[in-house]
This record gives sequence, structure tokens and C-alpha cells, in this order.
Amino acid sequence: MATSSPQTGGTGAWDRLSGLLGRGPGGYAFLSLYLLITSLTLLLNPRTSLLTDVIFILFLLLLLIVYRTRVHIGFKVALGVIALGVVLPYFGTLNPYYIDVATQAGIYVALALGLNVVVGFAGLLDLGYVAFYAVGAYIWSIFSTPQIGAMISGAVPVPNVWFYGFILVGLMIGGAFGVLLGLPVLRLRGDYLAIVTLGFGEVIRVLAENLDKPINITNGAQGIKDIARPPIFFSGALRAIGLRQLDDNQLYQFFFYFMVLVIVLITVMIVGRLKNSRIGRAWTAIREDETAAIAQGIPLVRMKLMAFGVGASFAGTMGVVFAAKQLFINPPTFDLLTSISILSMVILGGLGNIPGVILGAVLVTLLNLQILPRIAEILRSAKSAGVPIPQSFDPTQYQRLLFGLLLILMMIFRPEGILPEDRRRQELHEDEDEPSEESAGATA
Amino acid sequence: MALLEATNITKIFGGLTAVNDVTLTIEQGSIVSVIGPNGAGKTTFFNILTGIYKPDKGDVIFDGKPIGGLRPDQIAALGMRRTFQNIRLFHNMTVLENVLVGMHTHLHAPIWNIIMRSPSLRREEGRARDRSRELLRFVSLDNKRDELAKNLPYGDQRRLEIARALAGDPKLILLDEPTAGMNPNETMDATNLIRRLRDQLGVTVVLIEHDMRLVMTISERISVLDYGTKIAEGDGQVIRSNPRVIEAYLGKGAAGMAGHPPA
Amino acid sequence: MAAEAKAPIRRVSSQRTLAELLRVIFLPLGQLFVFTVGSAAVLGVIVVVLAFLLSRSDPKIFETAVAILPQVIIDGIVRGFLFATIALGYTMVYGVLEFINFAHGEIFMVGGFVGAGVAYLLNQWGVMSTMPALLFVIIAVLLGMTVSGLLAMGTERIAYRPLRNAPRLVPLISAIGMSLVLQDAVRMIATNTPLGFNARFETPDFGKAFQLASIPLGARSIPVLIGPKAVIFIVAALLMLLALNYLVNATRLGKAIRAVAQDRATASLMGINVNQIISLTFLIGGALGGAAGVLFGMNIGTVNPYMGFIPGIKAFTAAVLGGIGNITGAMVGGIVLGFLEAFVASYLSLFTGGAFSGASYADIAAFSILILILIFRPEGLLGEATTQKV
Repeated sequence: MATSSPQTGGTGAWDRLSGLLGRGPGGYAFLSLYLLITSLTLLLNPRTSLLTDVIFILFLLLLLIVYRTRVHIGFKVALGVIALGVVLPYFGTLNPYYIDVATQAGIYVALALGLNVVVGFAGLLDLGYVAFYAVGAYIWSIFSTPQIGAMISGAVPVPNVWFYGFILVGLMIGGAFGVLLGLPVLRLRGDYLAIVTLGFGEVIRVLAENLDKPINITNGAQGIKDIARPPIFFSGALRAIGLRQLDDNQLYQFFFYFMVLVIVLITVMIVGRLKNSRIGRAWTAIREDETAAIAQGIPLVRMKLMAFGVGASFAGTMGVVFAAKQLFINPPTFDLLTSISILSMVILGGLGNIPGVILGAVLVTLLNLQILPRIAEILRSAKSAGVPIPQSFDPTQYQRLLFGLLLILMMIFRPEGILPEDRRRQELHEDEDEPSEESAGATA
Repeated sequence: MALLEATNITKIFGGLTAVNDVTLTIEQGSIVSVIGPNGAGKTTFFNILTGIYKPDKGDVIFDGKPIGGLRPDQIAALGMRRTFQNIRLFHNMTVLENVLVGMHTHLHAPIWNIIMRSPSLRREEGRARDRSRELLRFVSLDNKRDELAKNLPYGDQRRLEIARALAGDPKLILLDEPTAGMNPNETMDATNLIRRLRDQLGVTVVLIEHDMRLVMTISERISVLDYGTKIAEGDGQVIRSNPRVIEAYLGKGAAGMAGHPPA
Repeated sequence: MAAEAKAPIRRVSSQRTLAELLRVIFLPLGQLFVFTVGSAAVLGVIVVVLAFLLSRSDPKIFETAVAILPQVIIDGIVRGFLFATIALGYTMVYGVLEFINFAHGEIFMVGGFVGAGVAYLLNQWGVMSTMPALLFVIIAVLLGMTVSGLLAMGTERIAYRPLRNAPRLVPLISAIGMSLVLQDAVRMIATNTPLGFNARFETPDFGKAFQLASIPLGARSIPVLIGPKAVIFIVAALLMLLALNYLVNATRLGKAIRAVAQDRATASLMGINVNQIISLTFLIGGALGGAAGVLFGMNIGTVNPYMGFIPGIKAFTAAVLGGIGNITGAMVGGIVLGFLEAFVASYLSLFTGGAFSGASYADIAAFSILILILIFRPEGLLGEATTQKV
């Protein structure tokens, strides 16, 4: 799907800038200073406001800059660890709202990376990706709540420590669903495949809505509440080091933040390694030219199934985590719009390119959770100040418009995304040192 | 020893018989050309050999195995590779990656090893890269291995396609008009390359070609297709003087001028 | 060269007799009729047999099943014509561009809103109650067709034409974006006008339902009713199908459309303005979708900005079912799918004792059909045999 396009002026300027600040002592100083300034600004002024939003985004942008600069890999990792492992969680104790945003962004990063395997690597447009996410979420929700008793009479919820096992269950069931859906449909041509996966996504949602009878599996439209959270084994340790003032909810916020961070890092590692392997190359070959790929001995259906399975298993895993974090799920959580928003992230960032997809996921999540509500707030205050703004206009309610415009504009003006894949650069890198997984990880 | 035996191959599209009862035997280690006017069914015949089309009638035996019912990827894995008339590279992959994709059937690391980046995977990838570089040197493209395939000049793209096909260590390579659109100099280089495929790598070569000088220079055997039917077979001398061949190329009445090479 | 090519064509068309013309226009309707009666008969028999088998455990099932059968068939016809009219838009665009116009469901929805808006204004002006019902229908449908047709043309110009030579999935993604944009754009307009999110579609009084027959069933007799709005829907849909057949098969424009569908490059060499023809295709498809939207909104009495999505996907299913790119196929596919849905919706709960809700599973049935047909018969019901590409 990636199309050729001339390097734009913006990228050229970017290259010059990163050339200036991205190497040698200048680079180290610039990055350290950047981290220091943004961190301090955040920590000294943790109030929720538009300014904090902007600084928060600049803070996260550091990771992208770190990724693009040519400094020692150890330094990159150190900065990443400090930013995501220390500064951000500490900021979270001052303003829990932002750590929640970061967690959400992380969940979407993992989902987008999974979808990117299907759409970006293998070139299969999957519009029902959220179905696998739903499957993972429902698995844990059903088994960890009395809902299991409604499904199988006499059954009792599993102990909440099983959560860790269910992450793997979510992974496997998600993958299995991916393969099951893929088996019949992967012979279809690209645009038909898109519609069929969309249909499949809707079928899963409608089933979730209606499978409260004849046997109550999903509890129908009411959804499932009081989903179990895993036991936190380190809460004692945390309290011991002086974080006594944290209540359970805050603890869980940190727990899920770090859990998502770890999953994202693992996801990045897996996806990156797959990409630079025989499997990833076969996917790209299929995306580029199916006939030529098959002439190289690549079994089309098997490789496509693998892409579907791998992508879906990330969604299944994240579903389990999401359910435990959210405590409540219902069918509308998993509607087409969610699939489309994940697709927008992948397309905005750059199909097939891992840092690009991460950037896209973070940007869209922030846009959704921070920027739009802030704009809405500003509009509201403007309205009360007498500026004529239509009565019921609330930007947070216009996600469709946002995603729609985003998709159209990206397709027309920059189909390769804001951070396009650069295979050449990556190959050149490989001659210097090992492919920079760690640094890609830090971008999470 | 016959490496490939295609017997009584027939393929019909709608009402049109694209390939009609063609039998072709290719000896191990030979260079064979399939020629014929445009639309004679040469590419269709290639597509049948490589499994893209299923023949309506006839059998193909490759390296002692019947391959009529196999998928194209299975046939490719058995060691029959091809290039395409209208070059089909993976445009947005680098030159090296294109060759690595061609090596797909020789790489077996399971997904678990890839994720864990196990030592056996590193060894396999290392070997694959070394072998790819070797092949790129063979077609004189090693200095361009990090270019994107789409940025290569035309002649380089043709050679890259051959390198990619070689990456599967094929027993047989099918070249579909390897010199189409080349100037005489490039054609000469291509001729040498094709000969080296056989002489240095021991690959059996079948080519579809329109350049008669090239065909006559390097083929040990030539088969002529016209309207889907094989009308002649033999070495250059035999083909040159065959009246049906001359007629197919130059039209009725030209056969009187026998003795001159067609085209 | 162009002149040479044109001359024989003109001769042929002038020699075409009226009988041939009528045949070309009405033959597809014959096929449509066959499939309508056929689907109704097949599904009817299946239902009766199933009901008979189930009636051993509960005798009432058979009685109820037979009693509602005629109503279900009428419902199936209405749904069928709805899908058929929307499906025509998909199939025409696909025939010409090999492109799934994902936003077509929204074009349909816009038609519904135009109708609701017209009705609202007429009501405000106080002329609704005094004007003849038929006049209202004609005004609403024509306005809906105009707006939807122009909108479809505009979306092509803005979001699809710049991408015409891009890889296949690129315009599809753009179309998905367009679909979302239209949904929210209409929502923005609707919620900032008196129409509101769920806009009421006022209509003049069409009178009472017609009684077609009455089925004696034991002591009672069950009347078979068809509402006047349903009648209007069916008649209007039939008229549009006829007009489209005439347009595509018997006019110069239709010939140009068919030529572009066959081979865009050659058509342009023959002096056909391909861009213009593509625009017109969108205009026609959009107008049909808009009309369907008006009629649909009139039928159910309320419209909302998201209502186009599901019918859109189903109409696409219908187009694929009939053989995408094939005009008659789209109509036939629509009818078959309409019947199937009506039967599932009405009988599933009855036959399973209420365990499965028919309305929800009708959606699942439609998607399952889409998946099955794409896997096992991607060329559709009418296949290549009668392919009459747009």
C-alpha cells in the first residue's frame, strides 16, 4: 500500500535539524536539557490544563527525538527509562489524569502495532480488528466475574491471580480467532477482505449484544461489571519505600501503567524482530506483489494467516488487560469506530513503520483524550462569554469527523504517513550495529 | 536426464486455445529457448509450468515428480524459479531484501526462534545475507544492495530479478524475455549472464526470447510455438531452415526465402 | 478514427426496433420477477415445512407461521427493493471504477434527511395537510435525488478522483473516511436545526392500509394488509429500475457508461470524456440512493445520521450477491437478501421459542451471506452468464 512519494521539504528540514542536534556532544547536551526542562515544567505545574497538555506532548516527543538521533544506544535507553520509568509515574502521583492518558495511549500503541502487522506489513485491510480485542476482554470478564456462573451453572469465578495466565489465554484465543476468521476469507481480494472483516467485527459485536440468551454468555447489552483486578504483589514493597499515601485505585493506576508499558515493549520487540525476519519479508513481499511473492515459494494463505493470527493475538492480550483495568465492558466499547480509530493511528503514523505507528497511536489518543476535551472546554467558556457558537457543538463528540478527515487527507496528501517507512535507512543502520530494537522500545 | 517433461499440455481460455497439445522435454544442464510470434502462448506455457494456471490437459513432471496439481509456491520450493516479462520486483524493498525474499524456501527458523532471536536464527540470517551478497556480486549488484528496487535502472532490475530467482538455488530457471527493451550492449551482458547461470551455477535455463541473435547464440535447443501449437523443435540450424517457422514469422510466401534467419 | 468507429454504431442503434428496445428494458424486470416469486416460494415452503415439523411439540407454531407468512413476504419485498435501489449505486460505481464506494450508505442517509427537511418545512408553512399526498412524495423524492446525486458527485471529485491511479486500498480508505465525515457533518447540521438527531419524517395522511386478501384460520380470519407507504415504495422503486434500464441500455449516455466500464483507456480514445462519465455514474447512483433514503425515511417515520451504515453494508452484500458490476444482479441480489432478512427476522424467534431475537440475527444472517457468497461464488448469483456490466 505504501506509495512512492518525493521527500517533502518538512522531512528535509527535520533531517537538517536532527543532523545539527543529533550527533556528538551537542546531541547529548540537547537531549538531556530537553528531558530536564520538560520534566521540570511538568512536575512543577501538574495542574490539568491546555499548557500542561502541550508540555506533556513535548515530553513524549522526546522519545521520538531520541529515536531519530545518533547517540549512543545506552544513552538512548537511559533517557527512555528515566522518562517513562521515573518522571512520568512520578508526575502521575501529582496528577493521576495524565498517567491514565499514558496508559490508554499504551493500550492503543499495542493495538495499533498489532493491526500494523496485518495492514502495514501484509497489506491486508482489516476493518474488524476490534473483534479480537473484544474476545480477549470478554474472556477475562466472563471468567473473573459471577457471569461464569450464569453461563455454566455452578461455576465460580477464577481467583484473580489467574489474570496473569489469562493474558496468555487472551493471546492464544485472539490468535486462534484471527486464524479462524482468516481461513475462509484470506483468498479474497483486498477490498472484499476489508468489507468481510468489517462484517465479522459487526457480527462479534451483535453477538456480544445478544448472547444473553438462550444461554447467558455475555450478559447482553448491559455488559459485565465488577471485573476482577489482579492482585498486586508489590504493594507492600511500594508502601515500604514510603509511598504509603497511595490508595488502591492509585496503585492500580501505576500497576496498569507499568504492565502496559512492559507489554508495549515486548510487542515492539516481537514486531520488530518479525519484521526483519523471513516472515516479515514474506509479508512485505505479499503486500508489494502477490504473484511475484508466490513465485518465490512463499505460501500466500499460510503467511497471511500468520499475519492475521499475530495481529489478533496482540489484540486478545490487550483485551484482557483492558477489561481488568476498566472494570466494566459492554458491546458498544467494541464498535466499528474503535476499529477505524486504530486504523487511523496506523495510517497517520505510517503504514508498516513501527516508530511511525507508535507515534500515530500516541497522537490520536492524545487528540482524543486531551486536545478535543480541552478545545471543548475553551469553546464552552467562549460561549458563556457570549461568542456565538452553535448550541450543541461539542468537539469531543465529533470523533467520526476527525477520523474521517484524517483518513481522507492522509490518503490524498501523504499516504505513506507522517513518519514513513525507510527501509534504506534501516539497512544502513544494520551495518553499524544491531537493529535498534531497544531504541524503538524506548519510543513507546 | 530429463529435468522437466511437459506432455500434451493444453490450456483453453473461454473459446481460445492458448496452448494446444504441447510436449516439451528439457534436459538437465541445457539452455533451451521457446520462441514464437507474439500471442503464440509462450508466457501461458510458462505460467502452466510454474503452476499459476492449471492445464486443462497434460502432465508436467519436474525432477521426477508430477507437479500438475501443485500450487505455484510449492513448485517454486521444488526448485523451479522464474522471472517475469514485465519485471515484478518488490519495489519498496531494498535490493538485498529482494534477494532475501527469494531465499524464503531455504529459511526455516520457527516463529519462536525469531521472537527470541536465538543463535540458530542469527546463524541462519547471517548465512542468508552472505549468500545474498554472493548472488548480488554474481550479477554485479552488490554495490547497490541498499538501494530500493524501484530506484534501479532497467537493466539492473532485470539482473536483480535473476538474482532473486537464483536465491532459491533452483534446478531450473525460466526467463521470460530477459533482454526485452535492452540495447545491444546490455543484451550482450545479459547473454553472458545467462550462460554463466548454466556454466558456473549449473542451473538449467529455459528462456522466452525475441532476440534471435541471442537465441541462436546460446540455445542448445529451440522450440517454436505458433497459435499455441509447437510447430518445430531442434537446434538453431534446424529451426533456421524450417519452412513452417519462417512462415509463422514472416507470413505465407516467405518460406521460399529459406536459409535466412527469421526476424 | 473516432469518426470511423462512431458511424457503424449509429447505424446499429437507428436500426434497433421498438420491440428490441422494450425487450432490453423489460427483460431485467422479468428476471427480477422470477427471482422475487422464486425466493418467496422457496423460503415460504421452507418455513411451512419447518413449522409443520415443529408443530408436533407446539401446535400453535404452525398456525402462527402460516398466518404471518403473507405479511412477511410483503415485508421482504419492501426490504428487497430498498436494498436493490441502494445496491444499484454500489454496482454502477464498481462497474465503472472497480471501487467500493463505502460512503454510499451515507448518500442514502442524506436522502432521508433531505426528505425529512422538506417535510419539516412544508409542515411549518402549513401546506402539508392540504397538498395531495402524491405531490408531496414527488417533491421529496426529486429533491432527495438531486441533493444526494450532487453530493455523490462531489465526494468523487474531492476524495476519490485524486486517488484514481493509487493502489486499490487507498481510495477505499478514503471512502471510509468520507463515510465518517458525512455521518458527522449531517449530525452537526441536524442537531443545530430543529430537526435534531432523530429527525421525525412527517408525511401527509396516506390513508389506510389496503387489504389484499384474508386468510381463514380456524375461527378467525387474518387480513393481509399492505400499507400505502409500502405500495409507494415498491412502485417508485420499480419506476426507477425501469428508468435506469432505459438509460443504460438505450441511450448514448448509457452506451458511454458501458464503454467506460469495459475499458476506460479505450473509451477515452474513442472520444468519451471519462471523467464526465464517472461523475455522471456517481450522480445517477447517488440519486437512486437518495430516492431510496427518502422513501425509507417516509416508511419508518424517522431518520438519523447513522442510519445509512447498516443498509449500506447490506446493499453492498446484495450487489455482491447478484454479481457486482451487474445492474440486474444488484436488483436480484437486493430482492433475495430482503426476503432472507424478512424471513429470519420474523421466524427465528418463533421457531426457537424466543431464544434468539430475530431482528439482531437478521443482521448476522446478512453478513454471513456476504461471507459465504464471497467465498463460494464471488461472481454472484447471476454470474458471468448474464453479465450486463454497467
